[in-house]
Amino acid sequence: MMASNKQRPAKLSVYLYIPNIVVSTFGAVLDMVTDRVSTACLLVILSQIYRPSLVFLSLLALDIASHWLQMYSTFLSGKTSHKDVKDSTSWLFRLYYGNRMFMGYCCVSCEILYIILFLISKNHTENLMSVVVESLTQFSPLSLLLALSIFGWSIKQIINVIQMKTAADVCVLYDIDKQHKP
Amino acid sequence: MGKKEERARAEKLSVYLYIPNIVGYMRVVLNCVAFAVCFSNKTLFSLLYFFSFCCDAVDGWCARRFNQVSTFGAVLDMVTDRVSTACLLVILSQVYRPSLVFLSLLALDIASHWLQMYSTFLAGKSSHKDVKDSTSWLFRLYYGNRIFMCYCCVSCEVLYIILLLIAKNQTENLLNVVVSTLTQISPLSFLLALTLCGWSMKQTINIIQMKTAADVCVLYDIEKQQHKP
Repeated sequence: MMASNKQRPAKLSVYLYIPNIVVSTFGAVLDMVTDRVSTACLLVILSQIYRPSLVFLSLLALDIASHWLQMYSTFLSGKTSHKDVKDSTSWLFRLYYGNRMFMGYCCVSCEILYIILFLISKNHTENLMSVVVESLTQFSPLSLLLALSIFGWSIKQIINVIQMKTAADVCVLYDIDKQHKP
Repeated sequence: MGKKEERARAEKLSVYLYIPNIVGYMRVVLNCVAFAVCFSNKTLFSLLYFFSFCCDAVDGWCARRFNQVSTFGAVLDMVTDRVSTACLLVILSQVYRPSLVFLSLLALDIASHWLQMYSTFLAGKSSHKDVKDSTSWLFRLYYGNRIFMCYCCVSCEVLYIILLLIAKNQTENLLNVVVSTLTQISPLSFLLALTLCGWSMKQTINIIQMKTAADVCVLYDIEKQQHKP
């Protein structure tokens, strides 16, 4: 009873660190969850505006699946952050995780691309291919921004797919290693 | 060196080919096909989706029966659940107004399961379903009684499928549809009411779970600090 009274002010003080500047597990999780949920919601909005909706449905599935597997494998291999990947055979993987600016470019590209797609839609339902091709062939500053973000976005999605395979391997190896130990 | 690598690869492949994991891949394929046809053939979608949901129980049974329990299998299961529920909520958010309802349910589903899993790892429990300590009676009931837990989870999926099936137009008002179906006083009304009850309890549990999981994260840091010299 006494212990729980002491714990309560300590807990509250961690929750009230604004904006959680002190590195805390709760802060990191809050961060991750906010990212995932906000991206998911934006993809839902885009799936309502653009046809075929299957495109954004698939992107949502890929985002959730790859990040979930990633987090799980990070825990299993005991790393502190999924961004600390040191070993991999793919050059793209090594580039992505080795160069923080490149990683930043890819991640930001995704969010910007989704926001751009949201802003340039005029009607309630749009054909995705038409809108993208039209905007790219305009040869305006917008076309350049769109092209740049599509490039970064595609790299991020490829990374997501590779990540799923890598993370799945970690899960499998975790069991195999456990079996080998007596 | 070559032989060792070969053996390692063969071992990895054997886990990927475990029977319950093959059931898991089948679930993924079923869901892909289901969502590919969801706009053109709602009945087929519902059958495939529900069948995939039933396979969820089958692969767990297979794993225990054939002694092929694997971490990969558990993760595959969890990810398939989350993604299929998310996609169904996306479809419903297109069909029903206000879309904010299903957007919020999607947010709650992702957030609560994510926090739950994180806190399970931090607390070192083997499965998030093995929660033993909690102050809420609803929590204890949910985790203490597998049938009750099952009823709540199945209710959610069945409710979402019902809502998809009873929608006639491209955009429907959610409240109108629910109220008119409930007041019909038909077997469907009864099923709808039953699933609404189970669904609401599951969502309440999700919210409580987020608070509990957040507490685990915070306590983890506090305990780490206290153990430092």
